[in-house]
Amino acid sequence: MSVASAVAEQVLNGLVVGMVYVLLAAGLSIIFGVMDVINFAHGELFALGAYFAFAIAGPLGGAGFWVALVVAPLLVGVVGMGIERLTVKRLYGRDPLYHILLTFGLVLIINDLITSVWGKSAQPFPVPSVLDQPVALFGFNYSLYNYGIIVFGSALALGTWLLLNRTRFGMIIRAGSEDREMVRTLGIDIDRYYTLTFGFGAALAGVAGIVLGAYQNVSPTMGSSVIIPAFVIVVLGGLGSFRGAVVGGLFVGLVQTFARTYAPFLEGLIVFLLMIAVLVVKPTGLFGTSVGAGDHHDGALLHGSGGGVLSAETRAKLGYAGVGALLVVPLLAEVTGVTYSVTLLEDILIWALFALSLDLVLGYAGLVSLGHTLFYGVGAYASVLTLMHVSPSVFVALVVAVAVCAAIAWGVGYLSIRVSGVFFAMITLGFAELFYNAVFKFDFTGGSDGLFGVDAFYGLAGLGIDPGEFAVPLGPVVLDGGVVQYYFLLAVVVGSYLLARRLIRAPFGSVLQSIRESEERASFIGYDVTAYKRRAFVVSGGLAGLAGGLFAANNGYVAPSFLHWINSGEVIVMTVLGGMGTLYGPMLGAGVFVAAEDVLSSYIDQWQLAIGVLFVLFVIFVPRGLVSLPRTVADHPLFESAVGDRFRDRVGEQAGVTDPEVDRHE
Amino acid sequence: MSDPILRTENLTKEFGKLVAVDDVTLDVERGEFRSLIGPNGAGKTTTFNLLTGALRPTRGTVTFNGENVTALPPHERVRRGLGRSFQITNVFSGLTVRENVRLAAQAAREGGFTPVEEYLRRSDAFDDVNEHTDRVLDRSGLLGRGDEPADVLAYGDKRRLEIAIVLATDPDMVLLDEPTAGMSAEETRATMDLIDEVLSDRTLLLIEHDIDLVMRVSDRITVLHRGEVLAEGTPEAVSEDPEVREAYFGGVEA
Amino acid sequence: MRDDCSADSGAQPRPSRRRFVQAAGLAGVTGLTGVAGCLGGGGGGGSNAITYGVISPMTGPYGGLAVGQRNGAELAIRHVNENEDIDVEITGVYEDTEADPSTGRRKAQSVVEQDGASYLMGAISSSVALALNEFAAEEELIYNPGGAAVPITGSNCNEWVFRAETNTAQMAEAVSDYTAENLGTKVWFHIADYAYGESVMQRVERRMRDGHDIEVVGRSRSQLGSTNYNSYVSQIANSDAEVAVLGMTGGDLINFVKQAASQGLKESVNLMSPTMTFSVVRGALGEAAYGTYGGVRYLPTLETGDNQSFVEAYQSEYDSLPDNFARAAYMSIRMTARGIAEAGSTDPAEVKEVLPGLEMDTILGPNQFRDCDHQAMNPVWPGELVAPDGGSGPATVELGEMIAGADALPDCGELGCSL
Repeated sequence: MSVASAVAEQVLNGLVVGMVYVLLAAGLSIIFGVMDVINFAHGELFALGAYFAFAIAGPLGGAGFWVALVVAPLLVGVVGMGIERLTVKRLYGRDPLYHILLTFGLVLIINDLITSVWGKSAQPFPVPSVLDQPVALFGFNYSLYNYGIIVFGSALALGTWLLLNRTRFGMIIRAGSEDREMVRTLGIDIDRYYTLTFGFGAALAGVAGIVLGAYQNVSPTMGSSVIIPAFVIVVLGGLGSFRGAVVGGLFVGLVQTFARTYAPFLEGLIVFLLMIAVLVVKPTGLFGTSVGAGDHHDGALLHGSGGGVLSAETRAKLGYAGVGALLVVPLLAEVTGVTYSVTLLEDILIWALFALSLDLVLGYAGLVSLGHTLFYGVGAYASVLTLMHVSPSVFVALVVAVAVCAAIAWGVGYLSIRVSGVFFAMITLGFAELFYNAVFKFDFTGGSDGLFGVDAFYGLAGLGIDPGEFAVPLGPVVLDGGVVQYYFLLAVVVGSYLLARRLIRAPFGSVLQSIRESEERASFIGYDVTAYKRRAFVVSGGLAGLAGGLFAANNGYVAPSFLHWINSGEVIVMTVLGGMGTLYGPMLGAGVFVAAEDVLSSYIDQWQLAIGVLFVLFVIFVPRGLVSLPRTVADHPLFESAVGDRFRDRVGEQAGVTDPEVDRHE
Repeated sequence: MSDPILRTENLTKEFGKLVAVDDVTLDVERGEFRSLIGPNGAGKTTTFNLLTGALRPTRGTVTFNGENVTALPPHERVRRGLGRSFQITNVFSGLTVRENVRLAAQAAREGGFTPVEEYLRRSDAFDDVNEHTDRVLDRSGLLGRGDEPADVLAYGDKRRLEIAIVLATDPDMVLLDEPTAGMSAEETRATMDLIDEVLSDRTLLLIEHDIDLVMRVSDRITVLHRGEVLAEGTPEAVSEDPEVREAYFGGVEA
Repeated sequence: MRDDCSADSGAQPRPSRRRFVQAAGLAGVTGLTGVAGCLGGGGGGGSNAITYGVISPMTGPYGGLAVGQRNGAELAIRHVNENEDIDVEITGVYEDTEADPSTGRRKAQSVVEQDGASYLMGAISSSVALALNEFAAEEELIYNPGGAAVPITGSNCNEWVFRAETNTAQMAEAVSDYTAENLGTKVWFHIADYAYGESVMQRVERRMRDGHDIEVVGRSRSQLGSTNYNSYVSQIANSDAEVAVLGMTGGDLINFVKQAASQGLKESVNLMSPTMTFSVVRGALGEAAYGTYGGVRYLPTLETGDNQSFVEAYQSEYDSLPDNFARAAYMSIRMTARGIAEAGSTDPAEVKEVLPGLEMDTILGPNQFRDCDHQAMNPVWPGELVAPDGGSGPATVELGEMIAGADALPDCGELGCSL
């Protein structure tokens, strides 16, 4: 076989991969570009398309595939429209952050429904027999179905482009993405078009699911395996640019394929390196013209502060009471025999610290970091590696973890803080995925298994406590090493909270709050907004590294899952669930989240569904988080009529945030 | 006429083929109330953005207080004493009135902060900043309302706060971007009175298209037309300039 | 010595070594913990009662496999309780690891501290299993891993871990000779880039070189979780390879083979993967699997030991055939229970002394947890995947010659463990 035809074959491979990406990204790009919705559920709609097709094609036999190719996307489209009507619609005008949360919940719901209907195992979904054969063209055998993917993908891309550019529907939704009010004043019911757009985007995801389902297999994890690459393509191509999604997809497909042959070490990294490089050089992506509808300032970030009915003193008392309770839990646990509560609390404290770190950037600087687990994971690796190779002291390990993470945060911040909103979210996600994939590749990180069996010493230079040997008799009981770990953890977490509160109350924190309120204004009273954000990001990265480092040191191991993007999603959920911009809210959110997941997953099989529904309801009805619940309850008509004006008067003093619903900033 | 606080030389901004600002050379004297007027599309807003630093010019320079600030970002210009107000009221609506002003006062603090002060000391524990804040609140008539959240203020009081924030940055010169846009005659008068009351000791550059207003308040007027300076002088001189009359007064007043 | 409130009865939480305040002295044990346990006691109760914690990745990428694991464990517990020869009363508690080591470890802690489990079974992915290895040693309880990675009973082995699952080294032995003798000597290794893939490549290559004259014509690595393999398929098709050895499992293997089949690679190159015969893989591949080769660690059709009565019981209970994960879970618990009976004690510390090397009958025939690494000495087979009798549907497996447990399992030293 000649070199030329080998290259030709790889070009063809690249085009197939590229078309696969185009199919994945097309629907996402439209929803993203037109409605400014970061739809994490796109992957699940994709899977739903494959499953619908599987269900339709199975009984029909030979022609089933073709029937499914028409019917299944329509069904997914209808599901999409339903989702838009019931949930997404309620969030227009809010920051894209809320779409992340909402669709995160939808992922859990749809995925759980899929597994309960079709089971957890992969299912076969054969390529139609006409296409299931190799053909010899250009001097080599190649799958006819692969040629089919290229042709079909091209036709679909062209059709979608025509729809967007040559039809009234396309004109209206494109105009709507530029200026919603303008379209509305023309007497056009833009909301109806949005429903249709979401349905159309969902249907495209469904089409991709069918084409790829036959190319791979149909399984419940197929959605989560494509969502990140799909986002990368959309962002790399340029937000809101359909052409960008197409060119970006093909470009990434070709580069990735050639890298596999000629630079195999870059496998798994190349896609993210490309995205980061493109965004650093051209923050709007290859074909994005302006930030346009994705402009961060359009949406409202709803922080929890000011929403409380409780006075500052009451909250402080609750805080002292909480810490007091945490102090006695180990003793109580021993007396009552419920020692597991301490284990759970340790996890909660770690996540609380992680959520606290995110709140500094999310709640105060308004930066949606979608890759925060980068710092958590790197902190854990740094801590374990230090314990293994440098010093057994947990103090040294944590200092290293914090320093390494702060340094990485500075670097990531330097490259990405000037890009705003959605782009920042995506570039941080890109960095996190880069590190996630990198730890698999090295021996010193323990590859896919991680590193195990590390013991930490709670002291320095031989002075301190070894938890393995610690024992202090105290009346009828003996305090042992677990006590040291627990109280050390508690002290670090409470200390970090106090430090964060200090920072926020100091001039530095005041400036962050002003940036959150109005970036432009902050800059025009003389603050270097970018520099402040970067500093906040460094502090936040350091604290997240501390959380990861603590977990790893306490438990003696680290694994690649510490760097998985799902952690970034979960910590955002915790932060918003609790009430961002309050510091204590996200910590509370972490407690509720971890405890709820632990309890639910022990008692019901469909716990993902339950948690998903909970998120969706929360994002829609309690966007300011748990800390706003007292106020929401106090403002509820039922409660008011029952308690009467007496209470009303007290609440009225803080008239600022009476309405927990969102203002539409349009 | 020898001490210009702000000077632009051959300032030009091109967007592709469109020349929005074309070779504008301006001298604003210290202490004067200058207005920059022109019909829609004359390049007022672009010029304003070039002065604040929101845009970078294609060619030409901006000199402020004798220093070339052409390449400086907005916050650096503010720190050097070039303040601005916003057309649409832009205050930190989630914070209290006092905090709004205090933030600006904090930015303008002499000598800045040491790291310990910046990161660890309570931001309301700086006596000099607090005194400055109180002075500004007092002068802008908001002293009694310091603890109210900014977003519940009535419209007029929000404008007041807007101006107070500018004042608190202690500017030598303030750029005012159509401060009365969309206001009734009554509100316009109140706002101009406020500006006069609070900022009269600063150099002011008003960007405006309301010609009557400009005639009333300005020391000197610069007229922009299609990105170029058409005329410059006292209100009387400008209003009698035949070119101005043709290009501007004719069109708008018809 | 074991009264009704003994520390290991299934009725009460077992004091965790990682707990925070320990009762001081023996008096304290009965005075404090013991009382709490007796008062809180309910089920179980006999001197031979234990709680088995079964923690499986019910959600996440291994969800499809975890179902079998849980079912197999459930069935084993029922059978042990019904079996009069084995005087042990097991209570099962079941948790979801979410395929995440942190969650898995917390759940393990939960079944130990809340439910009083002193025996653990479960996990599939190697990083969760390794985390539980550590946990078992810290807590001093017996753990049966459901993962196949070599280090679990190799370099990371410890005296508390007993594995009934067939490990990757055994599987490599199953296919290596067969491959070199029947499928070709010009070999391309394609692996998913993680510990499992590397271990397949290493072990199969070593064993193939041992006594055969083979040539490695190429190697490639794909990222774990890739969905597109055309580029690798082309590389293999354009080489001189006679056989491609695939070190990958689950979705990776399914996608690879499906795309390779569609591109016509099966016509020129034999495809062999140690995990090709696994029911999940065969189920998802359908026709694409016909004509490929794999290793066999379990099939419901096996006539070994009492497998057929296991299959029958499983089928009547769950209305489906047991897969390997059901088999491994079933064997794990039954083998461990025999150790408990033999020891005459439910204390894991005593059981771990008698269990190594204890000969017993299993569904894979006579078997034991080997002395030096506690790995069960399961037999293995090579197999060819062929079209089923009906002509369509999942491939059936034609078994090659059985390789006995002793021949399939490399020396402990070679695997990095000596207990």
